[in-house]
Parts: sequence; C-alpha cells; structure tokens
Amino acid sequence: MAALATGGATSSDGATSFQRKVPANSRLATIAGTRPSVRHGQLLLSSGLPSLDCVLGGGLAVGTLLLIGEDKYNIYSSLLFKYFLAEGIVCGHNLFVASAKEDPADILKELPAPILDDVHKKQLDEEESAVISKQDSRESMKIAWRYQNLPKMEVSPAVSARFGHYYDLSKTLSPELLQSRKWHRFFLPEELSLQSEIKTCNMTCGYTRLLQSIQRIICQEGFDGSYPQKKQKNILRIGIQSLGSVLWGDDICCTDNPEYIHSLTTFLYVLRGLLRMSLSACIITVPSHLIQNKAIMERVTNLSDTVVGLESFIGSERETNPLYKDYHGLIHVHQIPQLNSLICDVSGTKDLAFRLKRKLFSIERLHLPPDLSDTVSRSSKQDLAESTKLLSSGCGAMATGKKHLDF
Amino acid sequence: MLGELVAGAAGGLVLIQDTVDCEGRSLLKTFVAASVRRGESVHVFGFEIPEEEFRAGFDPDVAAQLLYQDGFTDPLCWNGKTGGFRVEEFSVLGVVTRLQRGPVGSATIILDSLSWLLLRRPVPALCQTLAQIPRAAANAGLRVTRIVVLLHGDLHPLGLVDTLHSLARAVVWVGPAPEGMRSKEDAHQLASMLQRKGSGKVVKKEEYFSILTGFTLKAFGEPTRNTPPDEDADSHSAVDTAAYLTFNLQLSDTERQARDRVPLPFHFSAQKKSSLLEASAGTGKIYYEPDATDDLDEEDPDDDLDV
Repeated sequence: MAALATGGATSSDGATSFQRKVPANSRLATIAGTRPSVRHGQLLLSSGLPSLDCVLGGGLAVGTLLLIGEDKYNIYSSLLFKYFLAEGIVCGHNLFVASAKEDPADILKELPAPILDDVHKKQLDEEESAVISKQDSRESMKIAWRYQNLPKMEVSPAVSARFGHYYDLSKTLSPELLQSRKWHRFFLPEELSLQSEIKTCNMTCGYTRLLQSIQRIICQEGFDGSYPQKKQKNILRIGIQSLGSVLWGDDICCTDNPEYIHSLTTFLYVLRGLLRMSLSACIITVPSHLIQNKAIMERVTNLSDTVVGLESFIGSERETNPLYKDYHGLIHVHQIPQLNSLICDVSGTKDLAFRLKRKLFSIERLHLPPDLSDTVSRSSKQDLAESTKLLSSGCGAMATGKKHLDF
Repeated sequence: MLGELVAGAAGGLVLIQDTVDCEGRSLLKTFVAASVRRGESVHVFGFEIPEEEFRAGFDPDVAAQLLYQDGFTDPLCWNGKTGGFRVEEFSVLGVVTRLQRGPVGSATIILDSLSWLLLRRPVPALCQTLAQIPRAAANAGLRVTRIVVLLHGDLHPLGLVDTLHSLARAVVWVGPAPEGMRSKEDAHQLASMLQRKGSGKVVKKEEYFSILTGFTLKAFGEPTRNTPPDEDADSHSAVDTAAYLTFNLQLSDTERQARDRVPLPFHFSAQKKSSLLEASAGTGKIYYEPDATDDLDEEDPDDDLDV
C-alpha cells in the first residue's frame, strides 16, 4: 500500500530493523491526509491529535462520527474540536462548521498553528539528547548496567510521525492558509432569523435546518460521488459544537422530561446516514454532563460511532488528589466502532489521563503508584489499599471504610 | 474578586444565585449602582417587585439615571394600557426596541429576576434570547457590555441551574456567612464566585462581604480554610520501619562505605562494560569461531546422510 511508506521502524524506535518494501509507483489514488487502516481496510483520517489517534486505533474512519462528551467548563472539548478543524485545514480538506453559540468565523480564527515537520523533528531530537544526557549524568547503574542504554518504558502509545500533526496553542493559523481552503458555515441565530420556524419529523427546528444544510453541501460539492468526472476527491470535515445544549433549541439539558426527547437521537440517525454515503467525517461535542435523562445519553452513544468522554479536574476535588497531580483530566473511551469486523479495536487499558502542554496534548495510561502503606503485605485484613481509595473507581467506591470483613 | 466583578471585570452574562436563606437582590443593586457610577446606561427589567421598591435605597442621582422597564404592574396586559413591559415582549426584538429608547453607548441590562421569566417562557427560547441580545444590539448600534441577572436557585431543578451556569460568564452564589464571622467583623454574607476568563481559565474564589447604605460593597477577605490535619502525611512520616525492631537494620557511615567497596560478581571493568553496551545497541550479531573439532559441512549439517 502506497501510503504506508513509513512502515519501517527506525533504530530510535528500538523495535525492529525490518523495512517494508514499497512499490515504486502506486496505482491507488490517495486523498491527502488519509491513510488506509491495516486492521479493517477503511480509510482513516487523523483527528488532529496523534495520541487520540492511537487510542482510537489509528485514526477516525471516513464516514463515521466522533462524539465528544464535554468536560464541565468546556475547555478541553473545545480544544479537541479546534484540533480536528485545524487538521482539516492543514491537510487541505473542506470544512463545515456549525455552532449555535459562536460565529464559525471566530472559531476558525482561533485555530492553532501546526508545528511543521523539521521544527518538530529538531525538537524531538533535542528532547532525546536531553534525555540521554540526563541518563549519563544520572548515576550509572551498578548491577543492572546492561539495561542502561535501553529507552525508558513508554507511557504514551507509540505515534507515527507522518499521519497526524502537532499544534502549537500559542500561535494561530495563518489567515492566508485559511483563505486558501474552502469552508462552509452554519450559525443558528442567522439561519433562524432568515426563515420562519418549521418543525419536521419530531426534530427541533434548528436540527432540521442543520441537516438540510449539510445535505445541500454534500450534494452540491459532490462529496457523495455525484460528480464522477472530478478526479481529485476531497474529504468534508463537519464540526458541530455543543449539540444538544439549550442554544440549539433543545431542552434535554434543562428538564428530566423534555418535550423533544427524541430530537437529538433522530438528528444523529439521519446524520449518520448522510455521513455513510459521503466522503466525510464529523465531530460533535455534546454537553453530556448536563443531560438529565441518562437514557438519552445511552441512545446517543448507540447511535454514534466513536464516543469519547472528557473529565477535567478543574474545580473538582480530584484536583488536589496526589494521584492526578501531573494530569489535567481523564479520558473515557465509551465506544469504538466495529467497521466491517466482528470485534472492535479496544485497547487493554481503561484508565487514560490527559495532560495539556502548550505544544502537546498527550494521552497517557494512568499508572497506580506502588502502595507503600503499612497494610499492604498483611493478607488477613481486608482493608482497601490507599491508592484504590484515591482512584475511587466503581469497585473501590462500594467498599469504603476501614472495616474489614469478618466471617 | 467580588469587588472586581462589581466594577465590571466580567462581560457577557453574570448570574447572581441566591437562596431562601440569603437574598441576592442587594448584591444585584450593588452591581446597578456601580454601573451607573461608571457612566454606563443601565436598563432594568423588573418583574418581581414594584418600581418604587426597587428604586428605594439608591442615592438620588443614581436612582434618577435608571431606565426602568416595568414588568411587575401588568405583565399580561390585562388592563390594556401600554407602557408597561409585557412578558411576551421579552424576545430579542422586544428587548432591543426598549434598549433603543435609551442613550447610545455602552449599556448594562439588569434582569430582576430571571427565575420569574423562566417560569413563564419556554426555557430554550429564553436562553437563546439571552445569548443573542448582545449581537442584535450591536446590529442596532448599541453595545451591551453585560447582562446581570438574579436567579433564585431553589425554584428550579438542578439541571436547569447547571445549564444556566454553563451559559454564564460569571456566577456568584450568595449565602449567609457562618455564625462566627457574622458577629465578629460585620460580614453578613458569603459569596462563592466562578469566573470564566477569555483564555479558557476558570477562577473560583470565596469571599465575605457586606453591603453598606447606598449599595456600595464592602468586601472582606477570603475565609480561612482550616484543613483537617493531614493524617496520611503524618502516618507516612511516622512509619519508620527500622525504628521498633529488635535487630539492627541501620547502617553507620563506615559500614555504608565498606558496603560500597565490596566488588560485585560480574563486575566488569569500565572498558569492557562500555564495549558490551555499544555492541548490544545495534542489530544482533552472532560471533562464532569454530573449534578444531568442529567440522561444518554445508550440505550435510547433521552428519547423517549416507554419502
């Protein structure tokens, strides 16, 4: 496959020295910014965040929907949204930005600038040399000296450098680059003021209008293959911000018994049909922490392909928890799609945490520190270990308290 | 931080949430007074209390500059008289029309209270209206800097209150100060504030305050937090595993040096170590030197063919 040109590992990866044989000329026309998946043969896009691509199994498949459950103050979810759109701009895809709160032009003005390859490579080299020099300056191991030069255990999943891009949050995308790409907008207050309210098929007016707009763009621009003579195909990246919030006219966030309870689910059903029949991918952020009726969120998860929930530590009691002191929040991967296969690509670890630095949004496995309290080695007592109490996951929360079970 | 909020640090939607125990209208009036003193035009949409009661307590010059829209007397227009503010009029168009009656320049909108409106208008439409007022006013030539609303937190379900918090730029919860504070320093109320700054940062703070005559704010400091003694830290420092043993596990300095000097098994010299390390960094290589007795025949490696 032509696009897998960098399949061979370099010596810095340390894994293998096998090189993949690449055919000289490829017969497959590839679309910029995509690559075929090795697992299920679908065409993959980068979600804008290389570490999220690894968690999702290589990337986001074309024709699927990525749903992000917002964190409480909508800081990190809007960041993921911007990364997705910025990746579209950098790869040359077309964009469709829909929002009820902010003007899409303002959203596009705030997209982060990509870190270009040679600059990033230099930085990676600098980091590596810093690490190696740190290793030298560190006291050399006396007994285990054979392991001295081996690389440290990787906390974050391995990343292939060519597919996704890294973004610098302190700089914004250059306006020339923005103008050279084609993008479409949908801003709900504008659309509502233009025409009178209509309500069709159980959906609120805003959703109906949005679906009509997306369908019109897909047909007009030929993303569904309606212009076969156009040689150069392109991808449409659709971004919808805060779907389901009050500003879209939907009341599922306000009450337990909303009037339009099926509005959002109907929208997702129709949207997924539109996505499947066109060369597009969609990212939607949903304020899932505000949706009162839990059944709605279950249905929404079922109707989407990839569902990722964000939980930030700002303002919660976990901020001071020593277990989480390096991280800014947790990522929960609720669902990964099964495309043309019987099983989905689920990674083994369920505890993923993220950390935001200016140039890197990294997602790492959360490791429990070794438990050094004095009750560890005692097998008679049924006390909970201190670190599981800190995690307060489901099992830990049930058996709280220091009492041990006596039979 | 409360002083800065009153002085206009936050734009957009500012929510003051009070409870049954402690009313928030006096803090709302503090915002009004500070805004008027700053020279902004203040449009008050009053629904819960009559106009005279709202104007009571302000300084005369401040009260004279308030632009009051009366939604209390006749909100459903039963008397048929025009002039009052009808409840259906609270849409983007209606509000902007009322705003245009005042002077141009920067305007602050005060809603007393949002709870009254939430109970009478459909919630999504109301929230959309609140979000669109600044934009529509900008189209009409006005500049709405902030919308300060009063919300009675006890009247609404939690979900609705959370939704409104997510829409607001700054939220101030007003509650009574605990008993000790109230008697000591005349601080009557406790405000917990949350402000979303433009860069995505979220600031949370608590402060004691009281309201003086003429609706000026007097802010006291933050409440001192007495943390419970950190038990874990104490227990870790107290766990000195070598302290209570009957045998000696500790090392004196001379003993430590003697231990460092003992040569370890497989302790190679530095040169041999570095040569071994460098060789293993690359690909694997096998070095084989055949013995004298070794007789490698390529065609018959196992020596079992009858050739």
